[in-house]
Amino acid sequence: MVLSVRNLSVSLGGTTVVSDISLSVAAGEVLMLLGPNGAGKSTLLKAVSGEISSTGRIVVGGCELNNWEPSQLARRRAVMPQRVEVNFPLTVEEVIALGRPAVFRGCVDPVVQKLMEALDIAQLRHRLVPELSGGEQQRLQLARVLGQIIDTPGQRVLLLDECTSALDPAHQQLVLEFVQRLAREQGVGVLAIVHDLNLAAQFADRLIIMREGRCFHEGCACEVLTPSVLKAVYGYRARVIPLPEGYPVIVPLGSGPVQRAPSKPSCRQAS
Amino acid sequence: MIRDATGRFGYTPSLVVVVSAAAVVALVSVSSGAYPLSVADILRVLAGRDASDPVASMVLLDVRLPRFLLGFLVGAVLSVSGALLQGLFRNPLADPGLIGVSAGASLAAIAVIVLGGTWLGGWLALFGEWALPVAAFLGGSATVLLAWRIAHRAGQSAVATLLLAGIAINAVAGAATGLLTFYATDDELRSLTFWTMGSLGHAGWDELLIGAPFMVLAILVAPWLARPLDAFLLGESVVGHLGYRPDRVKKAAILVVGLGVGAAVAVSGLIGFVGLVVPHLVRQLLGASHRVVLPFSALVGGTLLVAADSLARVVVAPAELPIGLMMALIGGPFFLGLLMRRKVM
Amino acid sequence: MMFRLGPFVLAVLLPALVQADPLRVITADGAITEIVYQLGMEARLVAVDTTSGYPPATQSLPKIGYLRALPFEGVLAMKPDLLITSEQAAPKKNLDRLTRAGVMVETLPSAWSPEAALARIRSVGDLLGEPGRAALLVTALETEIRRVQRSASARERRPKVLFMLAAGDHSVMLAGEGTAASALLEAVNADNAVSGVMGYKPANREAILASQPDAIVIAESTPGQFDIDSWPELARLQAWQAGHRLVADSMLLLGFGPRLPQAMAAVNRVMPSDARVADHDS
Repeated sequence: MVLSVRNLSVSLGGTTVVSDISLSVAAGEVLMLLGPNGAGKSTLLKAVSGEISSTGRIVVGGCELNNWEPSQLARRRAVMPQRVEVNFPLTVEEVIALGRPAVFRGCVDPVVQKLMEALDIAQLRHRLVPELSGGEQQRLQLARVLGQIIDTPGQRVLLLDECTSALDPAHQQLVLEFVQRLAREQGVGVLAIVHDLNLAAQFADRLIIMREGRCFHEGCACEVLTPSVLKAVYGYRARVIPLPEGYPVIVPLGSGPVQRAPSKPSCRQAS
Repeated sequence: MIRDATGRFGYTPSLVVVVSAAAVVALVSVSSGAYPLSVADILRVLAGRDASDPVASMVLLDVRLPRFLLGFLVGAVLSVSGALLQGLFRNPLADPGLIGVSAGASLAAIAVIVLGGTWLGGWLALFGEWALPVAAFLGGSATVLLAWRIAHRAGQSAVATLLLAGIAINAVAGAATGLLTFYATDDELRSLTFWTMGSLGHAGWDELLIGAPFMVLAILVAPWLARPLDAFLLGESVVGHLGYRPDRVKKAAILVVGLGVGAAVAVSGLIGFVGLVVPHLVRQLLGASHRVVLPFSALVGGTLLVAADSLARVVVAPAELPIGLMMALIGGPFFLGLLMRRKVM
Repeated sequence: MMFRLGPFVLAVLLPALVQADPLRVITADGAITEIVYQLGMEARLVAVDTTSGYPPATQSLPKIGYLRALPFEGVLAMKPDLLITSEQAAPKKNLDRLTRAGVMVETLPSAWSPEAALARIRSVGDLLGEPGRAALLVTALETEIRRVQRSASARERRPKVLFMLAAGDHSVMLAGEGTAASALLEAVNADNAVSGVMGYKPANREAILASQPDAIVIAESTPGQFDIDSWPELARLQAWQAGHRLVADSMLLLGFGPRLPQAMAAVNRVMPSDARVADHDS
């Protein structure tokens, strides 16, 4: 296991936000976290990355999180937060280089070049980050995060909090395919929060769906993404259609109880 | 133009330009002043070949030279401190003056001047001639810490909170200073004016001896923080993800700022604007990476302050303008122009 | 080595200084400047400080800045042989440097009594090499001062006087103890109505009403600065209404220069008679 979490709980301001979660990610595995807003996904990820204090055990690459030397940890575990705001005129290349070891400072770093090409931002390399679109910034941050661990030998973990939320569908595919390939080919363990159920179905090896700070269900896409689970967790009515590609597609059917009357008042008046 | 693909100026040509400018300003600074000295006089004195005019050698070696050095160091350390604070707070408006660090440092110094004879007598006995710089240093550090605490607690809205905190800190420090002046004797009041107006008018080798070690230390230590400070530009949590210890970086930066600004205030009083304007200018021309911003801020800040001081000495000669006033006169319009042209901060 | 130039500089320059004629003089203190003019020695002046505004002829002289922030090079550039200033002069460091650069720096003590004021005139006369002129001026002033003091000491009771200093637009200060204002009152046999306060402190309107003075003196730093309409509580005081009031230039009142007899006479003139004082006490 490159990442193992046992009985993790987090309290923020007296409220228990995450309670008693245990999970593990194997080398080369992509584990995705699902759940409605406020289910505690981001809090869980922050606790696992050591940003906020928690109770329970977190083991990264066979060593307790708190025992890691920060600079060593940064080469084996990379974290992509939901939002990174850059107000200062740094270029794309400079931001990616921040994740790279200091030895590459001042000379051409082939890894930076490779990552920019893979994530389709090579043409932006000299642009200032605050001028970029949301999707471009998201790809840039992912490139920075991947640069931290991509050429480290041995066990590595990638923690991603909604890394595709600002991307167009084509770039979503590009980015997640790249992450998946990194897992398959290099054995990086990935723990990612996603909101898009179809992306989760397509790219996750395993899914955990959370509700009110707890793990509601865990398993592969066909086990977790069922109409009954989605109804129970999100109150979301959906049809789940298995595809020949080996993963299901989720078609939404509207929210709440089965609608007999139109919900728009104006329509009701007209009838 | 010598701009590269990013629209910035190259480091090497910039370094050549800045160092040449510093050299020119240094020459202007030591060769201009109310007392007339020709270039020939100066060369003679510098060559150590002129015993016939001891006054010329005194003006040059005992007054203008230490004043130039002190002015350069103060400008450099205030600019570096501005750059450090702006990086730490991720806020281009942070400045030792704006968030109250200078006010805190000068309040501490004023307290020592006014209360040195009574309540703070032990302090004077303990530190001797270092009492003022040490007090200014502690006052400066305490204020940075306070501003940091307040801004940090507010989380996302730190920018606005920081500036409001700065206003409050400045107000409290100003009020406390006012209270102290109320109890000050006429003699003490005289020394207080200097702290609040800023002046290099009495700069000499003694001031340089007391202030320079702190300021040089601050300027030299700052570049060590460049990489983690770059990470700070992405947010405090990212600093930790990238393998740095945010708390250590913060403490180090606060120590450097307190040390540098405290020493600068101790020897030259309150000089505003340079810490805000210079890092801004450097970032516009050379980018935001602290490996570039910190050393260039030191050079540009020192040059700018010396230039302002040279002007302050000659415009109303034989009298002198306060350097703080001169700095605001030059820096204010310049800064406004910069704001109107900028694309991103 | 540059710290030890001083004695050497003096040794080189002093002989030249003694021969040099006329002496180039800078005064940095309003009262001292007035003395130089009164002695008729103004031709020697090459520059004055910004506190020297009287007589108006000082306007045509170069200004070296404020007495409490004297610039070293600015003073030196006027190539003075002699700088006469008061103990308020600062920074001390620049005075030391001027001495080392061969300027004779004379720091005279503040004069806060008629005797000290006259002594200061003698000192200035000696420094300018004209003790005779100074002695004449002192004798003339002494006579006038005695006349005012005789009239003042004829009063059986010492009147209480409220002394205020109008310095900025809205800044009016009460003169407490240990000030030139108190010294001036003392010189005309009067007491400061504000006791227990040291130095000049911002005026508290209630304290003004509570002080119940027999007379009011207001020193303005520029003429017309004090506006009685913004101080209704002053106008309400008996002393003000009865005309026991004086509004005059602060340099005249507080300078303790050659216009001291005028200042004493002006203040003495607005003191109430004995009957009025007694009336107030009862």
